[in-house]
Amino acid sequence: MERVKFGIVSYAHPHVMRYAPAIAKNEKTELVAIASEDVNRDLAIADAKKYGAKFYCDYSELLQDGDVDAVYIASESFKHFELAVEAMENGKHVLLEKPIAMNTRDASELIRIASREGVKLMVPFNPRFTQPLKKAYEMIRDGEIGKLVYVTAISENVKPPIYIRGFNAEWFLDPAKSGGGGFMDTAPHGIDSLLWLVGEPRRIYADIGAKVYGLPVDDIGTAMIEFNDGIVALLTAGWGNPKGYPWGLEVKYHLVGENGFLDVRTAYPDFEVYGEGAERVYWERPDVDSIVQGFAEAVLEDHPVPISPNLALKNLEIVLTAYESSRKKEWVNL
Amino acid sequence: MSTLKVGVVGCGNIFKLAHSKALKKLENVEVTACMDVIPERAEEGAELFNARAFTSFDEFLDTDIDVVEVLTPTFTHPELAIKALKAGRHVIVEKPLALNTEDGEKMIREAERRGLMLLVGHVRRFDKRWVTMKNLMMKRNFVPTWMKKSEVQRLPFPADYWYWDESKSGGVALDLGVHVVDHVRWFLNAEPLSVTAHGLSIREEAKVNNTYDHFVMMIEFDGGKTGVVEVSWAYPYPSRYGVFYHHVDVFGRNGRIRYVPMDTPMVGVVKGDFEVPRFSPLLSTYPEAFVEELRHFFACIEGLEEPRVTAHDALIAVEIVEKAVKSARTGRTERW
Repeated sequence: MERVKFGIVSYAHPHVMRYAPAIAKNEKTELVAIASEDVNRDLAIADAKKYGAKFYCDYSELLQDGDVDAVYIASESFKHFELAVEAMENGKHVLLEKPIAMNTRDASELIRIASREGVKLMVPFNPRFTQPLKKAYEMIRDGEIGKLVYVTAISENVKPPIYIRGFNAEWFLDPAKSGGGGFMDTAPHGIDSLLWLVGEPRRIYADIGAKVYGLPVDDIGTAMIEFNDGIVALLTAGWGNPKGYPWGLEVKYHLVGENGFLDVRTAYPDFEVYGEGAERVYWERPDVDSIVQGFAEAVLEDHPVPISPNLALKNLEIVLTAYESSRKKEWVNL
Repeated sequence: MSTLKVGVVGCGNIFKLAHSKALKKLENVEVTACMDVIPERAEEGAELFNARAFTSFDEFLDTDIDVVEVLTPTFTHPELAIKALKAGRHVIVEKPLALNTEDGEKMIREAERRGLMLLVGHVRRFDKRWVTMKNLMMKRNFVPTWMKKSEVQRLPFPADYWYWDESKSGGVALDLGVHVVDHVRWFLNAEPLSVTAHGLSIREEAKVNNTYDHFVMMIEFDGGKTGVVEVSWAYPYPSRYGVFYHHVDVFGRNGRIRYVPMDTPMVGVVKGDFEVPRFSPLLSTYPEAFVEELRHFFACIEGLEEPRVTAHDALIAVEIVEKAVKSARTGRTERW
């Protein structure tokens, strides 16, 4: 196997619009099949045509296609578990959108099945693949700012996905399908980067709510996370940006050490374009390409995936604990 | 309009850097007495205004003054303010009002009982940046529901300076904290329901003094509003980075307002090293804010204006911090 033959299952999650081209153009991967049963099927069909991939109206048909080595699952969150199980039981490696599942029991089950079936399972989290954060990680590791003591992170502020033009993301507003709103959608990226940069979290206090748009799900959340050895992180994440805010991700970190601090003004390299509105244009997304490539190499060379699925489980546990803290309005231990 | 006679107690930093300059700019106000426990400071202050110098508070109070400005370290505020009020003088006191709510309440009761003004120097409410933001929010029907405000600096004073002594200043949680919690409460236009806080002692100066130098508060306000407060004396900015001080981010219905330190009028100077000179003698605000604050306070004393920030507002700021520090120490949420 020189290249991993990829299938994409579902076009419900807007990240698919970045993963489809990344998979199609990566030298280690080939996009051979796309399946969409409902949401954004028109986009899925158009992409299948564009990339010369087979199109399926039924997920099971794609998951049984012997040509497919691996799948990227971009379905609604509540379908992650059943689709990933079916994929893995059909011997497919799985790149699964976050959150890994709706609850930690299902998440643990997925990890067990991956191990049993001998397939790779990975949930992508992006900031750790960006140049500025990689640099920050190295500088902290090399002691350039002394002991890390405090982090304030915005990861990330975006607009609600329902405002993406030409893309149906209504399911995000149904907690039964999404598990939560803006915090559930965006905080996992920030949490992953904190697990990577800082260490093991101990307890969490969070405030999450529908404060900006009045949507049926939360749109902005703040979490104060205490880590082992006393490091504290303050994380803001959600969909709080107004409609006029440029499209794109606002991802920022202040990493404060005893002898200095790192000011990561944006994790993603961009420039801004103003016209009728404002937009942010990224000249590269090393994160998505690195995720696709790292996953493909793990499959091809049979070594561990870049982000262990156990971290996706822990990530979900932290996110769910944040929601619990917000409901109880008190610290909750992890 | 009559001329108000003002006596100043405490001729140290905030007097030299801010109040003396502002007082000079005001009409209808005459500084007639300056008191400080350090004779040279009292003399220096008095000289600026051609006033009398005192080292005794009782002798100072014995003179013909209408208003006492208390610009001393925080722990002395209650005693000095209450004495001045008992002597029938209006009082303008620097923030924080007091180290704790018990003392703050006593001060307010004394002022109320005697029908005198007690005004507290919450100068953020007079800073043109924040005033413009507040007015803009009201004009555009922007309803803020989430606000994060950071005021972070590297305190340039040595470990034996009174700021580092929590029993004198209240530490960073109170000293900067009252500014920021008042700013957040003012913008959100809501009352606190609970606070959850975390404190860190990062610098050696904080560790030897057993105080926090970095403090984070998450405040739940009524109406589902959230305030996030960060204050620090430990941020490792060199102090020559004079403008890296305020960060404001407000989300709400109908918009978002963001202010980052780089938005402050600044000139970056590169000469082998990079520096950003201060825009005023103070890191935190513009000289004009003190002029406007004092002009307004004197107008309130004259009965011409209603206080834009009351002693009760200042008391609530102290109360929020008091609960926050308790929360940080116990590791639990504190509620109202």
